[in-house]
Amino acid sequence: MKWEPYGSRGKLHVIKSIVEGREEFDEDIVQKIFMCALCEHCTEVCTTSINLDRFWEAARRYALEEGLLPPPAAYARESVLSFGDPFSMGPSNRMIWSEGLEEIIQDRINKPAEVAYFLGCHVGLNAQVHDIARSMVRILDYAGVDFTLLGDLETCCGAPLVWAGDPDSAPPVNGKNIEAMRKLGVRKIIFSCPSCITAWQSTYYQIHGKPVRDEFELLTPSQFIARLNDKGLLDYEEQPMVTVTFHDPCISARRLKTTKEPRDVIERIPGVYKVETVPSEQETRCCGSHALLNRIDPLLASQIAEMRLRDVSVTPATMVITECPRCIRAFDLARMTLGYNVELKDITQIVAGSLKPKDSGGQ
Amino acid sequence: MEINIQHLEDIVGADNVTDDSETCKAYSRDVSSLPKLAGQILDDQFDAVAQPVTVESLQKLVTYSGRRKIPLTIRGNGTSGWGGSIPTRGGICVSLTHMSRVLNLDDFGLTVTVEAGITWRELLIFLNRLGSTLPVYPSSATAATVGGFVASGGFGIGSARYGDISSQIVGVEAVLLNGKLVRVGNMVLTEPDQDAARAKSGTKWFMNWLERRGGTEEPDPMSYLIGTYGVFGIITKVTMKIIPRLQLLPFAVSFETIDDLVRASIQIISEAEPYHLRFLADNYTSKLRALTGLIFEDGKFILSGALLDTIFQNEESIETIKGITETNGGVVLDIERAQYHWDERLFPLRIKRLGPSLVPAEVLVPTAEIPSLLHDVRRKLGSSRFAVEGTMDKSGLSSFLVWILDDERKTVSYTIGWHRSFDIAALAKKHGGSPYAIALWNSMHAKEFYGEQLYEEFRALKKEIDPQNLTNTMKVFGGRVAAAWPSLILGFLGGFIGLSLALWIGPEILGASWLRDALLAQPVPFMPLPLIIFIALLGGLLGFSVIKFMSLKQAMTLVLPLLKTLGRVIGK
Repeated sequence: MKWEPYGSRGKLHVIKSIVEGREEFDEDIVQKIFMCALCEHCTEVCTTSINLDRFWEAARRYALEEGLLPPPAAYARESVLSFGDPFSMGPSNRMIWSEGLEEIIQDRINKPAEVAYFLGCHVGLNAQVHDIARSMVRILDYAGVDFTLLGDLETCCGAPLVWAGDPDSAPPVNGKNIEAMRKLGVRKIIFSCPSCITAWQSTYYQIHGKPVRDEFELLTPSQFIARLNDKGLLDYEEQPMVTVTFHDPCISARRLKTTKEPRDVIERIPGVYKVETVPSEQETRCCGSHALLNRIDPLLASQIAEMRLRDVSVTPATMVITECPRCIRAFDLARMTLGYNVELKDITQIVAGSLKPKDSGGQ
Repeated sequence: MEINIQHLEDIVGADNVTDDSETCKAYSRDVSSLPKLAGQILDDQFDAVAQPVTVESLQKLVTYSGRRKIPLTIRGNGTSGWGGSIPTRGGICVSLTHMSRVLNLDDFGLTVTVEAGITWRELLIFLNRLGSTLPVYPSSATAATVGGFVASGGFGIGSARYGDISSQIVGVEAVLLNGKLVRVGNMVLTEPDQDAARAKSGTKWFMNWLERRGGTEEPDPMSYLIGTYGVFGIITKVTMKIIPRLQLLPFAVSFETIDDLVRASIQIISEAEPYHLRFLADNYTSKLRALTGLIFEDGKFILSGALLDTIFQNEESIETIKGITETNGGVVLDIERAQYHWDERLFPLRIKRLGPSLVPAEVLVPTAEIPSLLHDVRRKLGSSRFAVEGTMDKSGLSSFLVWILDDERKTVSYTIGWHRSFDIAALAKKHGGSPYAIALWNSMHAKEFYGEQLYEEFRALKKEIDPQNLTNTMKVFGGRVAAAWPSLILGFLGGFIGLSLALWIGPEILGASWLRDALLAQPVPFMPLPLIIFIALLGGLLGFSVIKFMSLKQAMTLVLPLLKTLGRVIGK
């Protein structure tokens, strides 16, 4: 990535040459197009307001049409189309995360309710981040929220298809989720992964020709938890003094603009002291694992995650909190390669772990 | 000139060199889209790109290229549009973006020392973490490098209070073009300093040279390195001032006329001492989609900026600004709008979307002259689509930036339209101003810009350390163009046809039929060619030579009036 043609401006020059017929659209430019996390940073800092991330998505689509898709992207695409997830695990593995929580969720699967929790493939299928789902479910149960889960009917949101250059296949795939939610009478959906929200926004519009907000309210965990806090439905117990910092996932900060709610949620927990990592909020740095970059170039992805952890390392924080399973997985690897002993938690994990037990005075 | 990549790899490291044509092409551009015609006077593509990571390897690279007569061009991130970082003779691009460490932060002396390739954004992030910030940084801070802005000089965010970038520089380290490492001013570095011995001997040489020229204080040795576009040396480290990160309070006010805006801005600078002050003309605000329908902004003249002080002082200054605005018939915008304009300070190119291309013209003028210059610019540009903005400096000068909207896909019309950028530089002179930047395209104004005496000193140093003008060729000093074959052939044909016609028609007009007969005679036996052809061939060779040895100034003098005339024909 040290050479300019890997940066946005350099790639645009190459694309311009291709459009003008002076160069070929070949493996070389495709490699450069896919060595990108679509983290929205270029769009954010573009002095001419070009929506570069949508441009690169269109370029990926062209790569697919030309039969030049990099093998890891082709695998993710095939996997979503065949198994309904980018890991080729299939629906039968969708409920493994819930082991031990049968009591809470047994009557929740496909139950009509106003609130639904959409896990996403990462949280639902990777043991490393199953605890995010378990924590979210515990929080909802604790607050007495009547919620539903799609269980093994849940399928991919379609985001990996967009990243693999096949946005046209995303609506039919996510359409199954939309229909299932509709049948259950759901109005509010909580997502563990911010990319699922943007995929829902675009696929819903593609299918129904209107904004998704006309039918569903799509929320990040912190947005929903903040509401539970406001209603006084969550009681926290004092935590042993811990200094934390919140890492804004790119999509949450730059596309969903949800930077306030997670901070409010963290500040509500007694004993948890929050410091800011610079840069943060809209200027946050990527974890490197978005848009299939962690599969296409794992080393580069890890180096990007290391860069972000270096930002954290100059703060007094001993714990990084975020709200994206991809970030958690990327940082988990990077802290090992860096030898940096920092704790990692999703916002749902710190909230669930700080709740006062119901039998000791909690609600 | 042949570039041996193996040699370059040995000097700067195998991972730090490439001669891949696509990469070279990407580095051969800056932020502007030059008309294709520029390729007729410039050898406009690098043959190789090198990214040195140590000062020592950079010194070796400079020495090597000097010995092998390979042109070098220094580049940060290419965020300027005046040709300072584009190749004019091919050769090697020396990209400094991988020399980007923060080397020292002096909390007590309030300075920071960095390598030249760090971007202003990264440096601001670093300083903000530690409760400090920069007094001045460029509006292209998201990508521009410290070395690039220091080498070009100029105004930026913060200039309303702290002046231009040169007044923020405490010390500079550079590799001179004779390979010597010099440190001028007060470089604040942390031990161990691996380059100290080489810097000591290089600086001694430089000081001796200055002594021989008549003294080491006037001109300031730093003036050879700041704002001179790398024509003497490659800036490697910079020590600059920092300030505490106090409360920053944005403000924005709008006016019906440019006269009101300028009057208010002069008072605001002297009474409220704002950190930053930027103006947008009505033809700018009426084009920004984000301002459409906002009654106090759409099509108005907007003055925006920020105060940087303690809460108490800021509150007082906000009241002052309100008073000045109301006295001058303006409207104070609310804090959300003020924040919007503050956040937009790093995005002056938003307007490009309407182009889709921009032809920039930036000049420096006394702030008081802005209304009359704007009036003249409107008259000059006529029906062209353009937008004007600028930044005010505390010294009473302003940058006046005209964005002319155009479409580079229409090759002929776009090429012709470029003369307008140079027309505006000429207009600025009439109003006591000058071009904002010299770099490549304004090198014909260099003597006036720097002052005759300093310019002569510059020439003397260039002659001493880069006698063949191999590094950043044509920048600041102009010089011979690198004419492309089509231009040379055109020169030949011009000379040939011109002289043929003159010799054909001339005798007729003069009534010298004997001369005509002589010209039609065949002087060489067995070659059925008249004498006129041999003489015309000499004319062709003369035309060829004129183009071949033409200077940049001569080329511009020849081409600009032509473009201007064509511009009149097509309404540009």
